[in-house]
Amino acid sequence: MNLKELHEKKIKDILDKKQVWNLPLVEKDANIQEVLSILTTRDHVWVVEEKGKRKICGVITESDILRLIAPHRLPKYVFGKRYSVSLHHGTARKACDVMHKQIITCSPEDKVGEALLRMVNAGLRRLPVVENDEIVGEITTHYIIQILLGKR
Amino acid sequence: MLLEIGVALILAKIIGYAFEKIKQPAVLGEIIAGIVLGPFIAGRIFGIKYISAETEGIAQLGIIILLFMSGLEIGVEEIKAVGKNGLITSLFDVSIAFLFGYIAGNTLGYDMRTSIAIGNIMVATSVGITVKTLMEMKALHTKVGELILTVAVLDDVLGIVILSITLGKGQPLMILLKVFIFFFSFVLILLLMGKIKNIKFHIPRLMLTLSLAFALIFSAFAKRLGLAAVTGSFFAGLLFSVFPQRRRIIEFTRGIGEIFFIPLFFVWVGASFDFYALKDMGMLVLLFVPMALIGKVIGCSLGAKISKFKTRDALAVGIGMMPRMEVALVVVTTEISMGIFSDALAHQILAATILLVIISSILTPILLKIVKEKASTSQEG
Repeated sequence: MNLKELHEKKIKDILDKKQVWNLPLVEKDANIQEVLSILTTRDHVWVVEEKGKRKICGVITESDILRLIAPHRLPKYVFGKRYSVSLHHGTARKACDVMHKQIITCSPEDKVGEALLRMVNAGLRRLPVVENDEIVGEITTHYIIQILLGKR
Repeated sequence: MLLEIGVALILAKIIGYAFEKIKQPAVLGEIIAGIVLGPFIAGRIFGIKYISAETEGIAQLGIIILLFMSGLEIGVEEIKAVGKNGLITSLFDVSIAFLFGYIAGNTLGYDMRTSIAIGNIMVATSVGITVKTLMEMKALHTKVGELILTVAVLDDVLGIVILSITLGKGQPLMILLKVFIFFFSFVLILLLMGKIKNIKFHIPRLMLTLSLAFALIFSAFAKRLGLAAVTGSFFAGLLFSVFPQRRRIIEFTRGIGEIFFIPLFFVWVGASFDFYALKDMGMLVLLFVPMALIGKVIGCSLGAKISKFKTRDALAVGIGMMPRMEVALVVVTTEISMGIFSDALAHQILAATILLVIISSILTPILLKIVKEKASTSQEG
């Protein structure tokens, strides 16, 4: 597909219907071990309020986990609780301890170009596709490349 | 000016890092870099005049950015999540710490406004050193560690609120009205931001520019109302903590803050350190530092004890809350720039606060280890 055409398409038009069943999801009270085991094969995991539900409340990415598994280092000026979350020191217990609580999203009606710009501006490599607070799919760099190369 | 700032940045980085290596806060190293660059060392030897209108301006911006960052990192959500124990301990913590400062000022014969200003300096804890110590002791995940982290969240907020209420000039009723206007505006903007936080724009780095600009404007607004500028920037940070772009804003603010503005604030504090002030401040130091330390231990331990902590654990919470650092230095410099202390006293109070920062950073890990090790046999996991 031509890149310009792709930018003009709506997200709902490129979303694979089957994708919704294969999203990496975990509930916010899930044990950190569960989160880690999903991340052995995935780059990220979306955090939902309850098991079996799709109301999204956070995301945990590879880079969050990288920070958790590297030797812990406090910044020069420490405020708030975030820098005390550590796997080694037992303060990262549940998904909600390590997740980003505020998430940048896109909707099925958004254009792909807009969503990609949002990703560039915010320095993100994936966006959840959200409808009525529920996650219905995801746009990732990998996914867009697959579409561009005609593999989807 | 350019040369001084360039040298200051390098010196602050090197001495700051050296301090981190010996397990002391980098901020202390940055203050010492300032003392080196100040009138008593580099000033004498090389004739450098570090203190100027420009370096002061940068330091003031450093304060704004530091408090903005603090508000952003603390966040509205985290404040809402503080439980009953955290709230009770925080209330005891700040009121007793403040009271002890006030009593110290009063005993030394200072007027009410000065004594209140001294009380303000003693309120805000900086838990960096405590977190490091608890990590070394593998005790961060314990109830004690958890409570310290929670109390530290509210501690800064309440400290800034007290600062706003007590530092106003004029009729008490007018001050209260202005404080009310400030917080009413805060709540109003918070509600508004909740509504608009998901609006999508495609202007590159819009949120970053907007957040920093808003921090400055809200600081100016607070100042216009007669409150401290730092109150404005702290609450601006809280406001922007509700946005999905929060992490990005934090990274950006940390970037410019940590690399440039904030170290230059601490260097400026060090360069303002007056060695002559030391010789006339016997009683001040003798009362100021112990009262600051004891106030926190009593306040927090009492709060923790009421929250059903064992006596030794409650004591550990109190000791863990002793360190003062960034915010105490911000409060003292703000009060000096508001003209609350007379000239000689200003130098003495600044020197006393620097001493408090140093002594509390050294003492806290030692005392915390003693208390926790003795308690370790009965310590929960």
